[in-house]
Parts: sequence; C-alpha cells; structure tokens
Amino acid sequence: MRRSSARRAMTAVAGVDVGSIFTKVVIIDAESRDIISFSIMRSGASHENASRSAAENALKAAGMSFDDLAYVVSTGYGRSRVPFADRQITEITCHARAAKFFFPDAHTIIDIGGQDSKVIRIDDDGKVVNFVMNDRCAAGTGRFLEVMAAALEVDLEKLSELARKAKRHVEVSSVCAVFAESEVISLIASGHEKTDIAAAIFRAIARRITGMVGQLGIQERVVMTGGVAKNEGVVRALEERLKVEIAVPEEPQIAGALGAALFAAESL
Amino acid sequence: MVEKKRYKLNRLETTRLIGPLVDRHWAELREAKERGEKVAWCSGPLFIFPYAMGMKCHFMAGYAAYCAGRKAGDQVLEAAEADGELMDTCSYHRLHTGMAAAILRGHPVKKEVILPIPDLLIIGRLCTEMAHYAEALHRRLGIPVVAVDFPPPRRKEDLPRLERFVVRQIKENLIPTLEKVCGKEFDEEGLRRILRVLKEAATIRNQCWEFFKLKPTPWTLWDYGVSIAPVFYMMGKPETVPYYKALLCELKERAEKKIPAILPDGEKYRLYWDGWLPWAFLGMFIRKFVSYGAVPICGRYPWEFFPHPEYIDPDADDVVQNWVELYYTKAQQAAVFMPEGALEEVTKLVEEYSIDGLVMFASRTCRAWNVGQQEIINEVERRLGVPGVVIEADMVDSRMVSEAQIETRLQALFETIDARRRRE
Amino acid sequence: MRAVENPYRTVYEWKERTGKKVVGCYPMWLPEELVHAAGLLPVVVWRSDEPVTVGHAYVQTFNCGLTRSFVDDAVRGKLNFIDGFVIYRTCLQAQELPFILERHVRPAYLEYLYLPAIFPGNATKDFLIEELERFKASLEKFAGREISDDDLRRSIEIYNENRRLLRRFYEFRRENPGILRAREVMAVVWSSMLVPKEEHSSWLRELLSELEGRHEELLKERRVKGDLKVVLTGALCQTPQFEILDMIEDLGMVVVDDDLYVGYKYFANDVELDGRRPLEALADRYLRRKPTCPTKGDWEMNWTDEVVDMVKRNDADGVISLLIKFCPPHLCYYPDIKRGLVQAGIPEVMIEVEHEIVSLEGVRTRLQSFAEALRRGA
Repeated sequence: MRRSSARRAMTAVAGVDVGSIFTKVVIIDAESRDIISFSIMRSGASHENASRSAAENALKAAGMSFDDLAYVVSTGYGRSRVPFADRQITEITCHARAAKFFFPDAHTIIDIGGQDSKVIRIDDDGKVVNFVMNDRCAAGTGRFLEVMAAALEVDLEKLSELARKAKRHVEVSSVCAVFAESEVISLIASGHEKTDIAAAIFRAIARRITGMVGQLGIQERVVMTGGVAKNEGVVRALEERLKVEIAVPEEPQIAGALGAALFAAESL
Repeated sequence: MVEKKRYKLNRLETTRLIGPLVDRHWAELREAKERGEKVAWCSGPLFIFPYAMGMKCHFMAGYAAYCAGRKAGDQVLEAAEADGELMDTCSYHRLHTGMAAAILRGHPVKKEVILPIPDLLIIGRLCTEMAHYAEALHRRLGIPVVAVDFPPPRRKEDLPRLERFVVRQIKENLIPTLEKVCGKEFDEEGLRRILRVLKEAATIRNQCWEFFKLKPTPWTLWDYGVSIAPVFYMMGKPETVPYYKALLCELKERAEKKIPAILPDGEKYRLYWDGWLPWAFLGMFIRKFVSYGAVPICGRYPWEFFPHPEYIDPDADDVVQNWVELYYTKAQQAAVFMPEGALEEVTKLVEEYSIDGLVMFASRTCRAWNVGQQEIINEVERRLGVPGVVIEADMVDSRMVSEAQIETRLQALFETIDARRRRE
Repeated sequence: MRAVENPYRTVYEWKERTGKKVVGCYPMWLPEELVHAAGLLPVVVWRSDEPVTVGHAYVQTFNCGLTRSFVDDAVRGKLNFIDGFVIYRTCLQAQELPFILERHVRPAYLEYLYLPAIFPGNATKDFLIEELERFKASLEKFAGREISDDDLRRSIEIYNENRRLLRRFYEFRRENPGILRAREVMAVVWSSMLVPKEEHSSWLRELLSELEGRHEELLKERRVKGDLKVVLTGALCQTPQFEILDMIEDLGMVVVDDDLYVGYKYFANDVELDGRRPLEALADRYLRRKPTCPTKGDWEMNWTDEVVDMVKRNDADGVISLLIKFCPPHLCYYPDIKRGLVQAGIPEVMIEVEHEIVSLEGVRTRLQSFAEALRRGA
C-alpha cells in the first residue's frame, strides 16, 4: 500500500496488464472510476521492465508518480512479475469486470488477444460463471491475423477494408495457423482475389471463436475486448456467425488493465 | 531435360451407378419413421441382424461418407464442438453427437444429414469407440441400447473362444432385443436371404479384385471404395448383384482393350493404403496421387468386407454361427484390427498386388490402427524392400488436414521408390 | 514419497529384495490378486516423467501420455528388468501394445486378456470367468507352480486389507482437510501400485495410527492453508503431474476427495469372498458398476451423479476435472459431466493434462480464475 499523496484530493489506483506482446497500464480515480490515463507498450523480453516503463508512461501522462498510487493490481500472462503490484488477478476475472463496467448488461465476453483467446460468461452480478480459454494455438488469436496478413502481403490494418470488398465465397478451413498460412498462399497462387481471401480469414477466426462460444452458450449482451476487437472485420464476421450484435468498447485493448484497476479501487 | 508427365485419372463408368443406389438408401432411412418403420443405428458387424428383421439401418462409418458426400461434414462437426465435444475425439463420434446436438439444440446443419432418431442403438464393440458414441447418444437422446462385445483377436488360438462368446451374445442378447423392438420372432429366413445375395455379390466382387493384379491396373482403390456399400450397408439388396456384374463387365472390357486407370499408359507407383478411407477427401487424395502417376490399389480395411464368400453358407443349420465364423475362425475378418493381424494382411496384400509403396493413413482423431503402423512399415521394408510413409489427416474433419504436409510426405515416398528402382 | 520418485528403481529394488519375478499389469482393472497368488510381484504400469523421444517413431503424438511413455520406455530398453506384462483391452491404444512389447522388450511372459465390456447377460460373466481361468493357467505355467483356491483367497485378503487401509486413509483426509498435501495422498496410493501389498499395508497402518493419533495437533499446524474445498475427478489410468496438484493448493484450494484412478478408483471395491470360489469373486469385482469407469462399456453408468455425490459428501465448493489429453473414454463422456454439473449448479473447471507440459502458465491461469470465481469474483 502506498500512502496517497497529501497534495491530491483524489485517490488513484492502477491496473497493469502484462501480455506476451503488449503491456497495458490504466490509472483511474478510485472513487469516480474515471480513467485518468493509460499507456500501451510492447512487453519485450522483460516483464518487470515492461510493467515499470508502461506505468511510468501512464503516470507521466497523468502528472503523477508511483507514490500517488494507492493500490496496484496486476493481470495477464506476466502478472506475477510486476514487482510493485499489491495483488494479482487473472485476466479472465479482469476482462469480465471491465466488460461489465462498459456495458452493465454484458453477459458474454469474447476476448481475443495477441496470443490467446477466451470466452467468458458472467451472471447478472458480473460474477464469472464459466469460461473457455484457447492458449495453446494461434488459431483465433491476433497472431493468426498477423500471419495471414503477412501471407497476403497486406498491412494488418487494411485487412478489414479488403474484406468488405469481397465478392466470392472462398474457404480457409484449417484450424492451425501454419496449415492456414499454406492454404492462403495456395489460394493466392490459384488466382483468388485478396478481398475474398481476407473475408475468408475473418470467417476462419469467427469459426474458431464460435466453437468456444457454443460451449458456454450465448447470452446477450455480447461484448468483445482485447486488441483484436479493433479489427472491424473480425467483429463483423463474428456478428454474422453468431447472429447477435457485438458491443465493443472504445479502447478494447485496455480492458484487462481497466478491470484490474477497478479491482484495485475495490481493494482499498 | 525430362518432361514432367501429365497423368489423368480414368474413372470407371460403372461407379456412377452407385450414386443413386446410395442416395436411395439414405432417403429410405430419412423417411423410415414417417412410414412407421423401425430404425436401428448399428456399429460393427451386426447390422445384418436388424436388416433381417426388416429394420432400416444406419451404419456409423457410412454416415461419415454420406456427410462427406453432402459436404456437410464440417458443419455437423462444428455443431458437435459448439455443444461441448472435444476436438480430439473420433470424428465419427463427433459426427453423431453433432447430429444429436443439431436435433436437441437446433444448431444449423443441412437438413438431409439429420436422420430420424432410431428405435435402437446396436453396439458391435469391434472398436471401443463404437461403445462411446452409443453411450453418449443414449445419455443425450435416451435411445435404448443393446451391445455385443466383439473383441478383435490377437492370436490364432484366441479365435474359437472369442467366436463362442460373440455367438452367445448375439443369441442371448441381440436377437431377443430385436424381437422385442420389432414385435415379432427373429426372421431367420430373412437372414438367409441376405446371406444368399451377399455371397453372390462378394463372389463377383472377388473376381473384380483380380483385376487389381494387372499392370497397369484398370481401376483404383477409390473406385472400389465407393463400391463397398453393396457388400456392406447395402448387403442383401437385389440391386447389389447387377452392380458388381456391371463392374466386372467394365473391368473385363478394360483389361481386353488394355485401358488403364491412369492415362496415358498406366501407373508409375502402385500403393497400399492403410487405415480408414478419407471419405471427405477422396478427391483431394486421388488428385495428388494421380499427379505423380500413383494409384492406390488395396488396403486392409476395404479388404475386410467378406474376402472369403466361399465360407458364407446361407443354408447352414446355425446361420448366426456361420456369420460370426467369418470374423473369427473361418475368414478372420476381425484380425486386421489388431497390429498382429494387420502385419500379416499387409504383407500378403503387398505381395499379391505387386505394391511399390505403403501409405499409412493415420487419422488424428483415431487411435485404432496407429500404434502398429510404423512397425508395419519397418517390417515390410525389411522383408519385402517396399518403403512406406505415415500421413496424418482425418476421415472427415478438414481442420485436421494439411495438404502441404501430405504433399511433402508423398513426394518423399515416391522419391524413395525412385531411388530404389535406380539401384535395381 | 520416495517410492514414487523413481518407480523404476523402487520396483527393481523390491524385485531384488523379494527375489520374486515382476509382472507389469496395465491399468486399470486387472485382477492383480491372481498374479500375487502365483508368487509373483504385480506392479501397475506407470507413466514416466520424461518426455517421449525415441518412442515417437513407434507411436503418434496423438496417443495418450501413458501409451507414449510406455512405448518410449519399451523401445529404450527401460522395461527390460520387468519379467512379464499383462495387458488387456482397456482401450484402443492398450490393445496395440503387446505388438510393441513382443518386438522390443521380448518379456519372458506376455499375456493379453480379453476382459469384456460390462454388458448385461450371462455371456459376459461366463466369458470373463473363462478368461480368468485361462489367465490363472498361464500364470501357473510361468510361475512354475499351482495357484490353489486357498492361495488365491490369501492374496485376495491381503489386497482387501490394503484397500481397507487406503479407504481409511481417504476418510481421514475427508474429515481432516488440509493436513495432507494432494501430492502426498496420491503418492500413498501410487506407492501401493509399486511395492508388495503386504509391505505397503504395514507401512500404511503405522502412518494411519500416527495421523489419527496426532490429528488434532496436525489440524492446528495445517499444511495446506486454503479457504476453498475442491474435489478432483477424471485422470484415468495415469497420474497427472504433481506440479498441477501443488498449484491447486498454492491457489488456496484444498483437495478433499477424488475419483481418480491413482486415487479412489484403485481401492474402491473389495473382492467379496462370501464363501464363493475366489475366481468368481474376482470376476464380480470387475463387473461392479460403481465406481463408474468409462472404459467398461456400461451405457447406463452415471458418472455425473457420482461426482455430484462426492461434492455433497464433502461440502466442496467446486470440481476440478483432470482430463488426460487423448483419452477418448473420458473425452467422450466429459461434455455430459460438464452439462450435468452446470445444471446442478456446481462450479467446475477443466484442466487438460498432457504428458509433456506445454504451458503450466495456462493451467495456472485457469485454476486461478476458477478460484477467483469461487471467491465471488475476487
């Protein structure tokens, strides 16, 4: 516990989400729950360094120092390697918390991160009742998109735009990113349009996620969190498959860190 | 410069005839309940019994071929996964539980692959998975079950007592249950009628097999694979004999005119195919094979279907005994399900059909054949100098298939065969 | 605990000490008593902790850990000190193992039994007894001596005694959660599979009187501190990694009961002699339908109810399903258990157990999320 600064009237807390690719820090006002600042940085090789740097960035943006943080909760893959954290909570619990914060009627959360994906069911009180995690293969994760975009020789950001122009239905059927990559390459070689292939890639991710969602059953409202949610093509493909509207917060990538920060506030 | 030869597949005409026959079988199954007929879902070598009772019968592996044919396999598998089935389980299991999921929870699946819920699940536990899928369907749909343990034999000396065990179970459990479900006495004459037709069909089919010995071969294992139904889940139907007669006729004609299955002038590599047939990927595999001038010729699984019709005796005093003898003491059909019997069978087939290489298909969700496969390759290599390769794919689940990986392994096999030929 | 650290050494040392021949019995339901009555030393085949290397030339990566580990051991010559093996049709993978053993281990004794699925009707029971008679005869031949009914009765009593003690041990854990670590409890059961039953029973008797004698004192210095009580289900045939058990406890969950094979299943039922032929009594134990085992083919079995009972009996907060990867009997049943537990309102998490642990972090995240949810979302 750090003493709250006598200079400030409000108490600040932070959530630190150390993912395998990106580290996210969110600082909020413990009382109002307003987001004061946040920072997203590459995790690199050292989680300790990444969490410290990202926190410093966020503090600088808020005009604060470490001493001003009353409580810090860490989450994510590297949550146990944040030396200044007071407590660590899994990203499942944190994403659920953030989703409910953004959308009080959230019941199903789809979190697609860089290296893993999860589907979480929460009850009316926001308590996690069930979850399914895929952390062992790249299918249905940001990595899959990266590999496919590279195979198409297109910027990741442009994929959604491409997919929107798709005309013909093409299939990428493999469950494995390595298999799918060679599928994409042979589709290009056989002369298929990049637009159609891009759409097929999004459908492939949606298929993978749908399998996970099905195991838990859908209950609306469905919310998407995690960096990949910024990719409109994925959201659309999922909406089409699941036949539900999917709500995406403005900054889906910081959901984990925000959830952690909210728990930090509650811990005071 | 050596020009790469362009090979072309020369499919048989007769195999076109099987399509409508198969369609009719499935249509009858789909409409059975509306007509007030009794339906059984059967696994293992037991469906001759419900057939004898006039039931419509669905067979486990047949459903996979059917879904594949309707391009609905992946859809049904997705329904299974959405229902909580784990992807590592047998594709046949997931196909059936996927169908159940579609029925119970309305997952979207093509209507024609939804079959009516049967009156009875008959387990012929030749493969232990056959028990698991029926158990799951029993739990979820409440369908009554009757089961016969059908252990594959490890050694010749085990045959008589296993046979006794199976015969006894059929007589004491299966037949009384069928009588109860159908509300009538067991139709022994019905059984004999089926056997009569089966014997004739299989005898003609065996004559067709002889043509695989020709070089070049006039037909492929895939041609035969789609023609198994008449001696399998279509057994006893009158149209099965004319089908094989037509098949034999076409083969004789091709042999006389020296027309090969692979144009322009026959195959470069003659292959043995182990494991199940990859129903949903028959097209993909044959295209790959043909591009190298390779042709699949034989396999232990397709050769399991009544290779010795001379032992079928429709007039035997004890027809149940006669039927089970085909699997055990007389024709040992069940033996190929154990690696010991498999090694023997593979060696025999490789010699009989002048095989150049072994393609051991290991389905990633099936563990029935794979522990012995590498050993069999090693042994056949040692004894007969014929190389082999293991290919991982699946019968139905396209998510488990990587064409690139298969291509690499096949190419390696052909290069090995080429290298050996150069040395000779 | 020492006994299970290096099962190879443990079994080898007992072989030296007793001068008996060792017969490896494949899990899960082989009537070891027959082997014991022949004057041989039955041990249950185990999964090693080493990653599979050479073995992958003979078995695929999508076979279960025990199959792959066993094949790896076989082809590397690590099993050559075992004099004989008995394998039966536990599942598809097991039935293919004699082929490998014959070619790579060439044991002096190799027996394959056709223990039948538990289907209703007399044919099953008669065939089972016929198989056991045949097994008995082949053991007599290998051991060079007859197995009299009295010999068999004696062995059965020795096994029953061990089972009784193990049951008492499990009851002790139920009544005093937190005194014993989960890995210690598993080691106690596992060691029974590796050493002579007589020795294990005498050692366990001492342990139990110490535990029972000191239980109040031990409760105070509780070694496993946790606010949550969980039960474990699944793990057929093989042990999960002890690290997973440790992790469960590190996260504040106390394991109070289980239905694992290296656990409750191993000692669940006694052989009821009741003045019958001992061989028949052995057959009856095999045919018992509880505890449910999905390898036995009983389509009316209800594993879910048994898990629910276990939860209620122990007033547990939740269930952890240990799913051995590539174990079809469990995998095919699992969706129904999950659905049943959800319906019964019992929280559950599924942990996939692999032979080569790919990601302990993933396991930790799942277990921690589960614990957080049990504590009402942190």
